[in-house]
Amino acid sequence: MSFPQFNRRQFLLSGAALGVSALGLPVTSAIAATPGGTLRVGLNITPNKLNPMLARVNSEYMLGEMLYSGLTTLATDMSAQPDLAIEWSSNEDATQWRFVLRENAQFSNGDPVTSNDVVASFTKLLDPETSAPGRRNLGPIKNVEADGDFAVIFDTETPFSDLPVGLTYPTAKILPASLIIESFEGFDQTPVGSGPFRLVDFKPDQVVVVEKNPDYFLPEQPLLDRVEIRTFPDASSAAAAMLAGEIDLLNEVQPTDFERVANGQGIDGLVTPSGRFLDIVMDNSKPPFNDKRVREALSLSIDREAMVELVAEGYGTPGNDSPVNGAYRYYKESSLKSFDPDRAKALLAEAGYPDGLELELVASVKPGYRSSMAVVVREMAKASGFDISVKTMDHPTYLDQVWKKGQFYVGYYNMQPTEGTIFNLLFTSDASWNETKWNNEAFDALVAEADRTTDTAKRAELYAQAQQMMSDEVPAIVPCFFDLLGAKASYVEGYTQHPRGASYGFHKVSLSKSAPTR
Amino acid sequence: MSPEFIIKRFFYLLVTAIIVSMIVFAVTQLLPANAATMILGEYATEEALLALNAKLGLDQPAWVQYWQWFSGVLQGDFGISLRTGQAVGPVILSAFGNSAILAVFSLVLVSLISIPLGVIAASRRGRPLDLGVSLISYLGVSMPEFVLATLLLAWLASPAIALFPASGYVPFATDPLAALHHITLPVLTLTIVLTAHVSRMVRSEMVDTLESDFVRAARLRGVPKRRILFKHALRNSMLPAITVIALDIGYLIGGVIVVEEVFSFPGVGRQLILAIQNRDLPMLQAGALLMAVTYAVANLLADLAYALLDKRIQFK
Repeated sequence: MSFPQFNRRQFLLSGAALGVSALGLPVTSAIAATPGGTLRVGLNITPNKLNPMLARVNSEYMLGEMLYSGLTTLATDMSAQPDLAIEWSSNEDATQWRFVLRENAQFSNGDPVTSNDVVASFTKLLDPETSAPGRRNLGPIKNVEADGDFAVIFDTETPFSDLPVGLTYPTAKILPASLIIESFEGFDQTPVGSGPFRLVDFKPDQVVVVEKNPDYFLPEQPLLDRVEIRTFPDASSAAAAMLAGEIDLLNEVQPTDFERVANGQGIDGLVTPSGRFLDIVMDNSKPPFNDKRVREALSLSIDREAMVELVAEGYGTPGNDSPVNGAYRYYKESSLKSFDPDRAKALLAEAGYPDGLELELVASVKPGYRSSMAVVVREMAKASGFDISVKTMDHPTYLDQVWKKGQFYVGYYNMQPTEGTIFNLLFTSDASWNETKWNNEAFDALVAEADRTTDTAKRAELYAQAQQMMSDEVPAIVPCFFDLLGAKASYVEGYTQHPRGASYGFHKVSLSKSAPTR
Repeated sequence: MSPEFIIKRFFYLLVTAIIVSMIVFAVTQLLPANAATMILGEYATEEALLALNAKLGLDQPAWVQYWQWFSGVLQGDFGISLRTGQAVGPVILSAFGNSAILAVFSLVLVSLISIPLGVIAASRRGRPLDLGVSLISYLGVSMPEFVLATLLLAWLASPAIALFPASGYVPFATDPLAALHHITLPVLTLTIVLTAHVSRMVRSEMVDTLESDFVRAARLRGVPKRRILFKHALRNSMLPAITVIALDIGYLIGGVIVVEEVFSFPGVGRQLILAIQNRDLPMLQAGALLMAVTYAVANLLADLAYALLDKRIQFK
């Protein structure tokens, strides 16, 4: 296996850094980190349970990463980096992988982390009974077995060269084998992990406190003594607390709050281009959206540059109806689809709607910009003869009645580590959430082949074709991607915002000497 | 006041609590999505949903679920939160304690401020002072808590002024001063809104009383004005004031929910909102029950206070 020396994502990141400093926001440089201190982090999503295998929201991923370790972790360039596994290799066709474990890792109950625990953890994670989220996002794993005390062997159903990246999925954490059998429920409240921190206090609706794990396997890390994670009812109150200096770090700021927060005294705004997107989901199996001309007409009715300005407040990138953008490794750049109401009108007439088309677009109110996008789509599409009414609803009702069932609604998805993951999650015929019911066999074959291919150039070509196919066929409209926006106090050092939005790296964070003593 | 009366009222309270719990349960059955849908969220598959429903007992008929919950409550067991897996009893009680701090501080402040304010306004009826009090009261009554709370937050907790913390909570046991500092803005919000309400009521009652025959008689007898105001008139106006304050407990509970959400204060209100958002039935039931009982008890106490203030009132 090989990693490219330089890729597009890094280029984008450095470009973004230049952009940020041009705006007058300081770019922190690497200086010797000072150990010690308490970091206060703000969250606007309450973590419910501590079992890392059952984590479903970013706040739970954050705690999972602090309290547990996985085999590999995801770097900001979307490559796999060592965690409990220090090296790995595969056979020629990438159907068998061997991961070598570090020998100095131990759980918080004092037991060493061995291959036995890894096998037990993956067996539990892949068991459908566990109903672990992301079970199908790891890769086509067939079998996991121990190879001595400190190595494990993974067999896959089909060749899969992304396995080390797949295993970085935030729920793929290693738990002690004995406790998985005895009391799996116990992990909901009582963590036993090998992560950089240990739990001190867990009041899910107020604050979660963790302290440095003195036995962590990386020397001299973590640097912080304690981390306090405070939960706020919504993004705005978390932003207010950031401005008032009550927290040091906020990993999610709404685009509408960002400028105000980033301009706060002693606060650095964080902008990271990401593959997070909102899309207009259409049921391709039923009229009117089973007619490609209707989907294309709607696609031509969207002014994508304006969408970035209106919905993402400029903190985003326009999309071309493929879920892959510059934040991914195999992004294929293509010219942006134009805003062409006349052509859209003609296509609609051709499809049998010369007098326009009446539609109801559903948007959940969480996050807030779902409904903003719905309203902007309504207004933009008027010119081409679409008469769209927007129906907003609360999130529970949306999940229950519309998501994966509705014909026309606004979807919201986080960036995934690889092109394969996002395609297989949403757009292939056997996708976990096949909400568009596009069911295009040629596309399925393309994605399956790319997943199997180990040759980088060949893969790039296959994924490029897949992106082009989505752009042409428009199974869903992806008008814009959102940058991840965050904020930190200037004295917080070593924190890098991860484009995937589900990885944090708190063991590398420290407070500078100018931090207030508490 | 007879013991029978108290027993009777206590029985009513019990019936109220049971009816409230039935209504809350019935309403949650009508809502789309249940706890399993919310726990699995966007990761739900058909099998996972069925399995989780069975595990949480949500696949059973509604009346079976209700009976299981009810029989648990009879034994003092409020169940396990479907959202966090923690026991509901201790969580909701500690949240209730926090909310009670807000409510009690607000009520005491309201009583201390609004009654004298109402008396003064009534005794200067039609004069500038009365107009001033009335105007401020109108503003207070017509200003919803969430607007006032947000205004106070944006003003007094802004980074430029930063007189008070924008959010959070410190237990009184850890640091009483910091605790007071944290509850100031929420209590202020509740107090301003309720003061407007109560002082308007006290004022209008006082106006009526000041015009009644016995006050005129006292004035003709040459009783000093101050004595008439506070000894004769106020005591007679207190009964309606107490009714208003007791009824306002319902209003206060609603206000507490709003204020807790705005100031991220960990009380029953926040628990209830989280419970509703996540369809966490046991937590929702316990929270609603607690609020209903609080309201009923407050009214019972108000009735008892009547009897103490006015010897003519006897409850049978």
